[in-house]
Amino acid sequence: MANTLRQRLHKIELIPYLILGLALLILAVFIIYPLSKVILNSFLVMGETTSIENLTLANFTQFFSSSLYKSAFLNTLVVGFSCVLFSCLIGIPMAYFVARTEVPFKMVFLTLGTVPLILPPFVGAYSWILLFGREGVVNYFLDTIFGFSLPDIYGAPGIVIAMTMSLYPFVFLLTYGSLLSADPYIEESATIMGASRWQAIRTITLPLVIPSIVAGALIVFIRAVGNYGVPAILGGNFYVLPTLIHFQVVGFYNLHTAGAIALVNVAMVGIAIFLSQYFTAKRSFVTISGTTQEARISHNKILKWVGVIFCAGVIFFSLLPHLTVILTSFTEGWAGTRYPTKFSLENYSRIFDIAKTPIINSLFLATSSTVVAALVGTLLAYISVRKRFLGKWILDLTVMLPFILPGIVVGVAILIGFSSGYIILIGTWMIMVVGYFIRRMPYIFRSTVASLTQIDVAVEEASTISGAPWLTTFRKVTLPLMAPGVVAGSVICFSTLMGELSTTIILYSAQWKTITVAIIEYLFSATIGPAYALGTILILLVLSAISIANRLLGRRMSQMFKMV
Amino acid sequence: MADPTKKNPSVTLSIQSLSKIFAGKDKNVKALDDVSLEVREGDLFTLLGPSGCGKTTTLRCIAGFEKPTSGEIDFLGRDYTSIPPFRRNIGMVFQSYALFPHMSIFENVAYGLKIRKTSPEEIKDRVNRMIDLVGLVDVQKRKPSELSGGQQQRIALARALVYDPQLLLLDEPLSNLDAKLRVYMREEIRRIQQQAKVTTIYVTHDQEEALAISDQIAVMHDGKVSQIGTPVEIYENPNSIPVADFIGHANFLQCSVISESNGSRVIAFPSDEKISLDFSSNEHHGLSNSEGVLFVRPERIEITPQSDTPNSLKGTVKHILYLGSLVRYFIEIFEQEVSQEVLVDQNRRVKGIQVGNKIAIIFDGKDVTIFSSDKK
Repeated sequence: MANTLRQRLHKIELIPYLILGLALLILAVFIIYPLSKVILNSFLVMGETTSIENLTLANFTQFFSSSLYKSAFLNTLVVGFSCVLFSCLIGIPMAYFVARTEVPFKMVFLTLGTVPLILPPFVGAYSWILLFGREGVVNYFLDTIFGFSLPDIYGAPGIVIAMTMSLYPFVFLLTYGSLLSADPYIEESATIMGASRWQAIRTITLPLVIPSIVAGALIVFIRAVGNYGVPAILGGNFYVLPTLIHFQVVGFYNLHTAGAIALVNVAMVGIAIFLSQYFTAKRSFVTISGTTQEARISHNKILKWVGVIFCAGVIFFSLLPHLTVILTSFTEGWAGTRYPTKFSLENYSRIFDIAKTPIINSLFLATSSTVVAALVGTLLAYISVRKRFLGKWILDLTVMLPFILPGIVVGVAILIGFSSGYIILIGTWMIMVVGYFIRRMPYIFRSTVASLTQIDVAVEEASTISGAPWLTTFRKVTLPLMAPGVVAGSVICFSTLMGELSTTIILYSAQWKTITVAIIEYLFSATIGPAYALGTILILLVLSAISIANRLLGRRMSQMFKMV
Repeated sequence: MADPTKKNPSVTLSIQSLSKIFAGKDKNVKALDDVSLEVREGDLFTLLGPSGCGKTTTLRCIAGFEKPTSGEIDFLGRDYTSIPPFRRNIGMVFQSYALFPHMSIFENVAYGLKIRKTSPEEIKDRVNRMIDLVGLVDVQKRKPSELSGGQQQRIALARALVYDPQLLLLDEPLSNLDAKLRVYMREEIRRIQQQAKVTTIYVTHDQEEALAISDQIAVMHDGKVSQIGTPVEIYENPNSIPVADFIGHANFLQCSVISESNGSRVIAFPSDEKISLDFSSNEHHGLSNSEGVLFVRPERIEITPQSDTPNSLKGTVKHILYLGSLVRYFIEIFEQEVSQEVLVDQNRRVKGIQVGNKIAIIFDGKDVTIFSSDKK
């Protein structure tokens, strides 16, 4: 008897460790291995063999010698910091208005304020040219009526505007969350001690939400310096690191230089993370709050109306490019004419034959990557929350690493890792699935971790003590309870993969062209109509995926994004 | 705790017919219904009642965080209702303490002084003296999260008192502490309040806490003030059944007063038992004649094994609960349809009394109040 019991105990304990081993193997093969190869390659000149004496800094010295590299480096910083600045200027007031004033339509602002996060920014980027460009509709009217025109938005201004309007929700939503959940008594205690409204905001409210603002700003910076699509469309001769990487890969197939640029891009993000950590470390604190009371709301009528105008304006401008995409897709003309001339389905019939393959490709790649990411991400999340073992932080860090890596860097890493050496996947759909899976698994991991930490361990223990072995408990108790987290993460994973471009542009091959690649090819050749028809299809696919998930989960879109 | 030697017991805070109606989704909720009370200078005045009775709403109206629907709050003759909270010069300790998590202890305590543009030297001096007064050492540089619950409580108190507020408000300040610390801290609060000589409004649902530290208590129920008085008055002579029921343990017996002579009354019970009680030394005996409810505290009842004792009620011991400092007897009196349970507390076990014994209970006229039965 005692013997069989011991055997059973062994069996129970073994399964989670087998899974842990498997998960670590996946992380090692698909994240650590390619990244190490990128680092090694970047210290070798193309064509040289791997050996100690061949190691060189030649790939990096171009940042000092080449003006193209130098300006790309500076441009990336300018774009990154400008996006952070403007996102804060837009996101923080908006968060305050929605969380703390009597602004009407709060739910509408929250939902529409989340939409830019799911819509791929590059799809709408060209709309800024159509609207505000030199030949754009706004300038046309300004010129004919007032006799002046706006400065050219090609290059930096356009890139910053397009990115800010699609990235500000990170600052908005994170700040909103922390403004809403702040202990109202803390502000009241400042008030009773004599602090006026403005003093209380300045000394109490703002310092307490700063960690959230910094977290939002950091994500904005990471996204801005790693985005390929927007500068590719609006940049012209204005190069940033991602477009420079693409240039190296596609133009020269020089993976060594591309890897070196990618490392510089990563270093930029690394320094930003370090600075933000340093900045918030001094402010780290635990809010001691057991109150369920909601934050106090200002009844000021002026703030209310200023707020509603501000929020509505932001929402309008952030959705304007995508609305323009949809509108334009149903017209003949506009691109080339002053404004839309004739409504028709011409664009859709033009793409009818060509569009089917990229759409199917995108659906296939996004679905299969999401399934893999959900499987691995869920298991990793379970292990991370429920198991204690040495070096757990390495697991957490490795899983989350791709989240902070610029998308194009993930692409370069996967390409370098699997174009030569032990595993060769180049040219297949699998290399894209690997890239997608690595890039988006953090979404599922984090959302599952969030829902797992809410489940009391005692619930699982109750199942174990009733006689269920580990696997049964996991299947019957844990999995159903964490399912909403898995589903929410998977939906975000799927919908953002449908619009993925930065990784795709490096990894795709001719027969695995995605809908996003098809769109950007049309945009490059200035065939706006078909590009926007495809863009409209993409927007509708993504939005319907999200809204179906909202129905299923009974959650709001902004809630699903809280963990991002 | 009432102190008769207190000089100049002048009224500082006066609340007149305060009402507060919260607009709800389906119907409005009347949180405060015609609340009136007066607080004397330097007193510790407690608002006591179960949750939802309106005590916190009253406090938040005094602070200015809630606007009363009607009524007046006068402080030192000034109308408070039109003054914004930050101009009222009030100190307040919140239930969750609401310490600023991003500031050190020193900065927390100094906050009110900085707002008042006090000079840095004076701030330093006063903050240190106040931290000293609340009995803490060397905590100035620490963050609130590094302190224990009791220490946070003291800092919250120091922060509320440092700028010499004219009024101190305490909202269930001890509810987050464990039982032993609670007893200790309530005495500390009393000591500090006395030392600072600050008029204080204290909100609690814990009647023992209220009895222990208050000069005056207002018992609240359903948005109304049921009774205002010293702890002794509230406990010994509650003016209504809800007050008697909420404070301590109480026995209520249906009865009728059938005759009266020389301060002595004959009381009849549903079991047709009759006892005669001497009310001559009881000013609060309640009504004479007609139906009523007799109220007596468990510790004011004697229990005796002699079930034939004259002028007593007969009963059976149902259960004995040993609580250490006291022994609680559950006695069934009257019989069958009218049977009722009575609690009797004794300091020690009464010899010769076991569960199931027939016994008798006796009480004195001076410990009894009779409420009219329709006054519930």
